[in-house]
Order: sequence, then C-alpha cells, then structure tokens
Amino acid sequence: MRHHSLSTLFISITMSLSVVIADERLESLEEQAFREAAAMAAPSIARIETVGGLDVIHGLLTPSGPTTGVVVAADGWIITSSFNFASQPASILVTLPDGQHFPADVVANDYARSLTLLKIDADSLQPITPASAEDIQVGQWAIALGRTYDQPFPNISVGIVSAVGRIWGRAVQTDAKISPTNYGGPLVNVQGEAIGVLVPLDPQKSNETAGVEWYDSGIGFAIPMETITRVLGRLQEGEDLHPGRIGVTFGEQGLTAGRPLLDRVRPTSPGYKAGLRAGDVITHINDIATPRVPHVRHILGSKYAGEPITVTFLRDDAEQTIELTLVDELEAYTAPMLGILPSRVTLTGEDAAGAIVRLVLPGTPAEAAGLQRRDRIISVDGIPVTDVSELRQAIGHMQPDDAVELTVIREGNEESVSATLGEMTAEVPDTLPSAAESADSDRGDEEVRVGRWVDALGEDESRAYWAYVPESYDPGQPRGLVVWLHPAGDTMESEVLKLWQPVCDRRGLILVGPKSSQPSGWTPADVDFVTDLVEEIREHYTIDPHRIAVHGYGDASPIVAVSAFRERDVFRGMSLVGAPLRVPPPEAHPDSPLQIQFMLGADDPALEATEASLESLRERKIPATLITIPDHGHAYPSAEWVDVIARWVDALDRI
Amino acid sequence: MISRNGQLLRISAVLVCLLLCTAPVAHAQSSRQTIETVLPRVVKIFGAGGVKNLESYGSGFLVSAEGHLVTVWSHVLDADRVTVVLDDGRRFDAELLGAEPSLELAVLKIDAQDLPFFDLDQISDAGPGTRVLAFSNVFEVAVGDEPVSVVHGVIAATDELSARSGRYDVSYTGPVYVVDAVTNNSGAAGGVLTTRDGQLLGMIGRQLQNSQSNTWLNYAMPLSELDTTIRQIQSGDFSRNRDSESTEFDDNFDSIDFGIVLVPDVVERTPAYVDAVLDGSQAMAEGLQPDDLIVFANNRLVHSCKAFEEELGQLQPSDDLTVVVRRGGVLLTISLTAPRTLPQR
Repeated sequence: MRHHSLSTLFISITMSLSVVIADERLESLEEQAFREAAAMAAPSIARIETVGGLDVIHGLLTPSGPTTGVVVAADGWIITSSFNFASQPASILVTLPDGQHFPADVVANDYARSLTLLKIDADSLQPITPASAEDIQVGQWAIALGRTYDQPFPNISVGIVSAVGRIWGRAVQTDAKISPTNYGGPLVNVQGEAIGVLVPLDPQKSNETAGVEWYDSGIGFAIPMETITRVLGRLQEGEDLHPGRIGVTFGEQGLTAGRPLLDRVRPTSPGYKAGLRAGDVITHINDIATPRVPHVRHILGSKYAGEPITVTFLRDDAEQTIELTLVDELEAYTAPMLGILPSRVTLTGEDAAGAIVRLVLPGTPAEAAGLQRRDRIISVDGIPVTDVSELRQAIGHMQPDDAVELTVIREGNEESVSATLGEMTAEVPDTLPSAAESADSDRGDEEVRVGRWVDALGEDESRAYWAYVPESYDPGQPRGLVVWLHPAGDTMESEVLKLWQPVCDRRGLILVGPKSSQPSGWTPADVDFVTDLVEEIREHYTIDPHRIAVHGYGDASPIVAVSAFRERDVFRGMSLVGAPLRVPPPEAHPDSPLQIQFMLGADDPALEATEASLESLRERKIPATLITIPDHGHAYPSAEWVDVIARWVDALDRI
Repeated sequence: MISRNGQLLRISAVLVCLLLCTAPVAHAQSSRQTIETVLPRVVKIFGAGGVKNLESYGSGFLVSAEGHLVTVWSHVLDADRVTVVLDDGRRFDAELLGAEPSLELAVLKIDAQDLPFFDLDQISDAGPGTRVLAFSNVFEVAVGDEPVSVVHGVIAATDELSARSGRYDVSYTGPVYVVDAVTNNSGAAGGVLTTRDGQLLGMIGRQLQNSQSNTWLNYAMPLSELDTTIRQIQSGDFSRNRDSESTEFDDNFDSIDFGIVLVPDVVERTPAYVDAVLDGSQAMAEGLQPDDLIVFANNRLVHSCKAFEEELGQLQPSDDLTVVVRRGGVLLTISLTAPRTLPQR
C-alpha cells in the first residue's frame, strides 16, 4: 500500500509540474509570436494625421488624434478606414515607420466597406503581405495593429477571429480591441500576414462612423485583404465603390423574415428593368439558394455597384432566371397620393367593411375623380379593402400616374370611381373639420392624466418633460402627437402651451415638450430621450401612428431633423419654424413616409436657406412645403399660424 | 521495501529539482501560478463615495508583511473610515500614511502581521505585446472573502500621459502601459498589472478619457515611476518637495513674433493656414509664404491655429522652432528661432 501511494505521489508531482511547464512554455511561445507578428507587419503600418475638419459627425465628437493606414503597394498606396476622414479634414498627413512625413491625397473611397485609398509621393515602401483567404479560421489568433502612439513599435491588441463573412458577407469579426487607436490598421495572423483592414462597422447602419459605439467591446471588424486586393485596381484608378442595389423591397423585413416575396419593385431600378415584379419570389442569386430574406441580403451585401448577378425567381409556379447589373443609386422613390383623409371612426355593424372618406383634399386626384365626403371605399382595382389600413397599403403600393378603379358606396349605392394617382404632397388644407368628434370623453374607470403636467422619464431629472392632453381624451379615438423641441436655453414652455392649448383641444392633439439636459441645447444623443418619450406616451395613450410629428423652432433644427430622419418608424411629420434644415435629408422610403413643413416669417433671414432646404427635399421626392408668414421676422408664429401647423399634423394621415 | 521507497523518493526529488531548474525560476510561472500568487496580495478598499456616479470602493496592493499598502489617491480615501478587506475576508481599518497627488499615489497602513506582499525590489518593465494580467476589485464584484477579479490582455503600447498634449485631464504626467483589455473601470484604480509570469509592472490608474480619440484609456502607471515615493512614505521620510508643476499653458510667443499672420481662427479646428508673412520678418527670410499650411511644429502635429499658438506659447527665448508646411502637394521644412527676449505685452 505504502509503495503504491508513494509512486502515485511521484507521478502526480511530475504530472502537475509538467502541465505547469507546458502552460508556461505555450504562453511564452504565443507571446513571442504576437510580438514577431507585429514586428513583421510594422514596416507596412503608417500613421495618419489630419488637420482641420469638423468637430461633431453623426452625433459623435470626432477624434482629431492620429489613426493608422496600411501600405498596399510599394509606390505610395495606403489603404485606411474612412472613419479617419469623417470630419472632412483640410489636409491629410502620413508618417511612415521611419519617421518621414508625406502629404497624402484621397484617391478613392469604398463606400460599401468604409475604406479610403490614399496616395503619397513615395516609392520603395513595403506593402503588407496578405494572409491566404482560405486559411482564415474562426478561433485562430488575430492581432490588431495600429500606429497611433509616439512609439517606434505598433500598438497591439490580441484576440481571435470570432467569425468570417460578417456584416452581410463583408467583414471578418474579431474580439481584439478595435477602436480609433487602430482603425485603418491591419488585423494580422501570427505570421504577421494581414487578414484584413480594421474598420468600424454596424450591420444596421452605413455611415462613416457607424459601429464606433462598439469600440473596445470585443466586437470588431476587418475588411478581408482578399476584397481589398480585388478592388485595389479600381480604387487606384480613382473609382469610388458603392454598395450594389437592385431596387426591390420584400414583404417581410428584419432578420427573421421569411421567404423573399417581392413587395415592391422600383420602376427604373435594375430589378424592374430585368423583369422582376411585385409578387415574384426570389429563389436563387448567382445559383445560391435564398430560402429567406436574410439570405438575399447576405449575398447582395458583399456586392458592389456595377457587378452583374443572376436572379432566379418563381412566378406562377414557374422558375425564371434573369441577369442584371447592380447600381449605386436608385431613382428617388415617389410616394403616390389619392388625396383623401380617411375617417378615424372604427366601423361596426353590417356596413363595417371599407374606408370612409372624411375629407377630399382640394386639387388632388380624388377631387378630380369626383370622390366625395362620406363615400365608403370598399375595393381598389377589384380587390376588397376592409379598413383604412388596407386602403393605405393598396394605394401605397402603386406609383404616381397609375390609374386606379375604386368601388365606393355612396348614399347606399355602389358606384365606380376612376382616378389617376398623383404625387404625395405636404400641403395644408385650408379648412379641416375637427376630428375630435366626441365632446364627452369616455375614459371609463381608466386613470389617465389629462391637462398639463410635468414629469421626468424614469424619474431621471435629466429627462424632464411637460405635456398637455386635452380633457376630451378618449382611449377609443387615436390621437395625433406633437413633440415640441425647444431652442437652446429657452424651453418657451408657457408661450408654446398658451398658443397650442386651444388647437390641441380643438383637434384632440397631444403635445409633449422634453427639456434638454444641457443648458447649451440639445445633443444628438438626446434623440434617444425624444424617442423614449414618444414610447412612454404611446404606452399610456392611444396614438395614431400616422400622425406623430416632431416640431421645433430656431436652433432646435438639428435635433428635430436628426429625430425625424433617424427614427423613421416613429415620425410621420417634421415641422420646423424659423429654421432651415441643418442635417442632410435621408432617402424617401415607401415604408416610412415622412412629410416636412417649414414655416418662416417673410422677413426671417433664414428664408433663403430654407428655400434651398425645400429644393433639396423635393429633389429627393420627400413631400415638403414652405409656409411664409407675411410681415413676420424671426420669431415663433402667432395663434393663427400655430393652427396651420396643427391642421397639417391633423392631415398627416392622408392617403 | 522501505529502502526502495526511499530510493523512489530520492529519484522523484531529483526529477522535481531537474524540472524546476530547466526554466529560470523567477520566470517559469504560468498564468495560473501567477494568479495564485498575486490574488492574496491585492485588497479591496471601501471608503467615501456612492453619490453622483462616484464609486465608494477601490483596489490596492500590499507592499509589506506589516500591512503597508498602495492605492490611488482618490475621493474614496476622503472618508472618516477607510476599510481594507483582504482576499480571505479579514477586515481592517486603514490609516493614510501619505499621498502624492501629482503621482495619483497614496500609501495606507493596516494593523496586521505576516501578510503576503509584493517586493518593490522585484518590479519589472515590459514592452508592447507582453501578456499581462490585471487584478482589481472592478465594479465591486468581489465582496467579503472573495479575491479580486483577474483580466488578461497584452500591453498595447507604452505612451506618455502628458497634460501638455491636452489629451488627458490628469495630474500624473509620465509613461504608462496602455493595455488592450478593459482594465480601468469603476473601482479598478489601485489594482496591479503583472506579466503573465508574475512580475509586477504597474498600478492601474483611475478612469481617463482620451480627449483626442474620445475613447476610454486602459492603462497602468509603471511602478518604477512610483516606487521611490512609496518607500519614502513607508519609511516616514517623505515630504512633498516637488513643485506643483503648472499645467497651465504658457503664452510666451505668438505667431506674430515670427512674422506669421495666420488666417482668422473662426472654428474649433481652423487649419493653420498662413494668411500673410510680415515684410522683413524671420519667416519671410526663411521663405514662408501665404497659403502655406503649417502641419508640424517641432515635430508635433498642428491640427489647428490654436494648436500652433499653444506650441509657440511653450517656447523659451532663442528656442529652435522647426515648422513643416504643406505647399501645393509637397511638405517643406522651415527652421526658425524664437526671439531672444520675451515680447512685451
């Protein structure tokens, strides 16, 4: 027994010792490999600095600190992340590992992958060695390198390859710490060969700073060297690269969407020209099966504009294959309009099906076609519509200039009305009957706050707001919601409440006024507060999703626009008083209609800039209107004009 | 049988010795062994705070068997009672022996004996790529008799924390280890950074944001910068003899003192374009021209007019000033010298 236990002791001592030593040896070998990999790649890693440029981009303070670039060809070609140039700097300077400074020019951008190619007047540089694309394995060591410190050796972060083919097939993912200190630098393997070039990316967004919020989080991305090598020639020719677009939307959206059934095919888009139509189901792209919508996005996501693809689709149980070439820009989408306001009364009883016309807007196709107030529309082109949302959807899927046959019930008789659709406008009807029908509200036993009150979201005093809900509020009648965003340093609470209270009462609108947490005004981060507040109000009140507008005056313009443009699913209207647009407008999108109204004094110095804003919106086919107040300077308008704004909000649900 | 067993024991002893000696003892330590050794030497500190996002907890590490311990100089110590909790759960009230705010350093003492500790004669230095472990009571995750948390990473870079560069709002100016792991969160300050084989490198500093890249910095202050002061406080012969260095920007010279007129500084980052060069000035003699863009001054990036004026403000009389300008597509170097006397203002 004793012999036995002693030998066990012996074995266990030597075994645990050898495990420890093996651990130690492995750790030390790996450590050595990290350093050697960095040393191998170091001669190809340049430091990039910028001079001048903007401070704030997309709500983030842009860094003015140095970033990194990778030498991809010996004669002065350096690739880097576009993030470095989001601030539109006046001058770009490259410092090579040997300390030489060079001025650099931007030759081309890859907008699909947030890369920028720079050229410096130098030769005999050492280009980075790309890693073989086939050898990149999830789980292998991945070393992120940057050159942002005043040091001869690159800065290092060590991780592994977390995934390949991320962000719709565009990027390698790593858990090494990726941040502005290494954006534009290489992600290398232990041999010092480049797996890719580090960029901030976000699967849901596409601007230069998308994904920066994820810095140092363990989720970082690199564009594979294989892609860069493939497009380098085009970039060197000065060709900007864009994501390729086909011009179709699917009935189901989001990451869990099912089969790729086409919902809309934009006229003049490559998809339309090649013969795709609404109702087709895409089954293959480039012979790769696409059983669900994300499969389609995944294949298209890695494609550039100008690249040809083949699309196989199912129509009437027959499969067809077409070829098309992706484009970078689609012709702006133009929303169609019939020209009616639908009734908000929910129909009950026998004659419940259809949508009742509450008002025919003057000068619209509906008026020309002879539609009348109280007509009940029961079918569109022979297809029955059972309620307002079906009518909205049926019309929304057509194009301006499309002919449409409506069946209506007028005074008990069925009649047929032919109309030719027009373009959606944001014009304000001169008269608009109040739709807040019931004077006696029926709130039952439900405890809801009405009148004016002040509160703070989540009891957070930095998220304080005031609100006004008309006494007539009735949960059975969906209400319009106006979010008032005050100018910097002045909540204008009593003035705005005094002007708006009568129109809110008249039109049943709910008004909320968040207060900026900073006395200096709104920061783009406050958009979250604004949308959280809308969410809070919607939780407690019945709000018509088609009549939610954000309204602001003067220097609140940026936050108003950022709210409206970023939260496309929330806001249907945006109203700016005494201010032009300060943020570039988005693309018109069929699924998130947005109307914009400007109101200015005829003597307001901002008038000229606002006219330019209107022009740019109309170019993008976003319905917009400018209302000028005679003999009025830069000031908030009087009651009569506030009523115009309220009328416009009340007509946002136009079809 | 017994003799055979004795023989076996002897063989195993020899083998163990051999195995141990094949690698240098001080370095032949795996991360696992390092963690075992380091954890009992790092403590949790509880003191003032708990309001307005200021945490009331921190970390520290033992430097003597008699209970001397080092931490950062912070609001946590500004309490009537500062409590130190060891890894085994033993609690002590701590006495503040001394502090050096310019090093963000404080030394505490608890009344204990025979504690495991870090030997300040055994501190080490390391460079980028070195695997490191960081030990701290980050986010107060460790309570009672639990040891502090360990995270791993590599040294990303060594860098100077310099108030002059305007990057950091911090009184410590000197080299730091920048780490690629998220080491500096609430409560981590005062923890230690070691190599994976257990060599003591630095003390984790308080949370800092890099004002140039707007990112949070993960870093530790090398103990080689702190150890002399720690020893002085420990032995009681410490006096704060350092002049409190002014971090205010000097305003010695302006661009006009060199004959340079910059474009009007209208926005936060107006690029430093030369608007005019004064006749007969040094700048004119050296060939500076209107529309030149000043991009470096004494090898420091000039990202705006303001940055250039700050750089000139730092110059002493007769100092050299080398500026690099971008003219057209090329960079040109122009050497200037500051005037021999400070201008009268």
